[in-house]
Amino acid sequence: MKSLGMCVVLVCLIPARALAQAAQPPAPSSGLWIVAGAASGTLRGHCQDCPQDFPFRHGGAVVGNAGYRVNARLSVGADLFWMQWRNESGRIRGTAIDAVAQFRPWESQGFFVKGGAGMALVRNWVQTLGPNPDDSKALAVVIGGGWEFNPKGRLGLQLFAMQHVGALGDLQTVNGPVADVTANFWSLGAAIVIR
Amino acid sequence: MAFAPMSLVMRHVCAVAVWLIGCLAMARSAGAQAPDPSTLEKPDLVQPLPNPIASFVSMPVTFNPEQSAGSVTTKEAQRACDGCPPRRVGMSLLQTTGINVVYGLGNLARGQVTGRITPKTWWANMQMGLVWDLDDFTVNQIGHPYQGSNYFTAGRANGLTFYESAAVTAFGSATWEFFGETNHASLNDFINTTLGGITLGEMFHRAGWLIRNTRATGKRRLWSEIGATAVDPITGLNRVASGDWSRVSDKPSDFIPSSLGGVASAGVLWRGSQSTAFTAVGDPFLEVDLYYGDTNTGRSRTPYDAFWMRLRFGGGSAFSEARVRGRLFGQPIRKGGLQFSVIQTYNYQTNDAYSTGSQAIDAAIGTTLQLSQRTNFWILGWGGLTVLGAVDSLPLGVTEKPKDETPSAGQGISEGPRFYDYGPGSDFGMLARLTHDGRDRALFFYVGRQIYSLDGVRANHFLQHARVDLLLPLRGSLGLGVSAEYFDRRSYYQDVAGTTLKYHYPQVRAYFTWQRR
Repeated sequence: MKSLGMCVVLVCLIPARALAQAAQPPAPSSGLWIVAGAASGTLRGHCQDCPQDFPFRHGGAVVGNAGYRVNARLSVGADLFWMQWRNESGRIRGTAIDAVAQFRPWESQGFFVKGGAGMALVRNWVQTLGPNPDDSKALAVVIGGGWEFNPKGRLGLQLFAMQHVGALGDLQTVNGPVADVTANFWSLGAAIVIR
Repeated sequence: MAFAPMSLVMRHVCAVAVWLIGCLAMARSAGAQAPDPSTLEKPDLVQPLPNPIASFVSMPVTFNPEQSAGSVTTKEAQRACDGCPPRRVGMSLLQTTGINVVYGLGNLARGQVTGRITPKTWWANMQMGLVWDLDDFTVNQIGHPYQGSNYFTAGRANGLTFYESAAVTAFGSATWEFFGETNHASLNDFINTTLGGITLGEMFHRAGWLIRNTRATGKRRLWSEIGATAVDPITGLNRVASGDWSRVSDKPSDFIPSSLGGVASAGVLWRGSQSTAFTAVGDPFLEVDLYYGDTNTGRSRTPYDAFWMRLRFGGGSAFSEARVRGRLFGQPIRKGGLQFSVIQTYNYQTNDAYSTGSQAIDAAIGTTLQLSQRTNFWILGWGGLTVLGAVDSLPLGVTEKPKDETPSAGQGISEGPRFYDYGPGSDFGMLARLTHDGRDRALFFYVGRQIYSLDGVRANHFLQHARVDLLLPLRGSLGLGVSAEYFDRRSYYQDVAGTTLKYHYPQVRAYFTWQRR
């Protein structure tokens, strides 16, 4: 809820920031690309042969990007996504580190799409499947999009919707192996952009 | 997740169909904007009509430059160069959606239940997220990358850069997965369609520009455009619609390679097995290599200004090998003594030891040594990450793949079991080439792949392939070659017993070769 509140505050600040920028010529930007923000996340697990339907779980998330602006429309770098949520067994944490590219199809517009792949680390994941806590590494993929305010200035703000996927593979639990486990994390949030 | 097996021909036809519909609509609008007949007498400029159908019947028509200046200026202003297509970002996204619609209609026409999409199925797919699918190896490793190449070329045909078109490919792939079928969206399809689509798409697009002769007119021009359209249908049909098909211009400089070469080899190969040396009866094969640009030299920031492509038909299966290695970045170091490159690769290979397909990014370093005035020795080493690799695999305890059963679910729904695994990994290798008077005399190739299976039987698969070729020039471009190969596979299963399985077999070939460098 805290992160959701933070998102609301950031969204409320957008018009003020955008109006302030409208009167100024765009500042020259560097090759740097940094994004830091927060999001409200939802998680759902899945496995190929599981009879049960896993519930949606919710929690706060932190997102960040650091990288290089290739040109006015394209930025490449690393994406960090960290989310924490609770279930009956306790606290579970998921972290995804991906190589990403963010692209704005129209230079004058703030609309952007983002995609990448990397690695996810899920801590205490199998508490949802069996009693023995375990850590697991996963193949991660991220896709998403959003809108960036003041896309030409050094400082901007973006609203985004992202989907991170962690493919964990087969997991060994005390109840036997669980086949082909994947986790999907959906997030909706806001972030500050520094160029 | 994917459609049920759809032949490449069918996919090609689908891609062409969507563009025919678009082209007819655009040709009609172009016809509506045709110049006023009263201006035909002005003799200064002779240009074909924008409507390509009219230009095919050799109707050069003059037009009033003043009258059409506005529209020409607007269109020309969007072109990065004289021969480049107009830049239309929105159109590329629209066309990508159109491609999805046509593939979807193709599925429906073939009676596939996966094509019966509704907003309910879209919502269900979005709620489920991305999961692994159970489709056929060839569909996932060839079909999806080909579909992705249609999205990519939709971007390129509308004047977008390589990286922009890569984003269009991801858009097309994601929208197909979530909204194109009733099957849940597939993680492996998303990766294969996007990365494979980029690799194959840029390769097809550049190959199309090799065939296209934009300075020619008449029948020669027509056939060059038809040939290019056969390779890259989306670009070809966009050119029909825009009138660029018959417009005389310079070829975009980005699509003129610094060098071009090709090798075709045809002959017989003899395969060994785990226990015996070689089979008595050989299998015929045809292998084609295309060398576009020079990956060994030069500073490069233009993706795929140099790439290598290999296709092999026969030799044990109808289509046994496809490799594309495209340079994304090139930088000479140590005053040109060494060449550093970043390479994107697409790989598909099937043989008696393993079937594998992968999308990878490699870093490579190479050098050329001049042994004499006429003899060079080139050596290249590389290593990199496999974003997603597939390798055939049987469940432990199963020794033979069972015959396909009639599916109990609706047509188009893959129920499994699937006899190959997916996972990320790494790859590395080396290539050495001895040339005399610019012609290959000896080649050595080695590649090793490691795939850590995440989807399927948990295991580390280690695949190796080594090959030596000796070549003898005969006359002109003709030559004779022999090669010896060795395939090796080790699968380390992560079961309680720590099972390890090993397969290996040798292979020899004798072939005629035709080389043009």
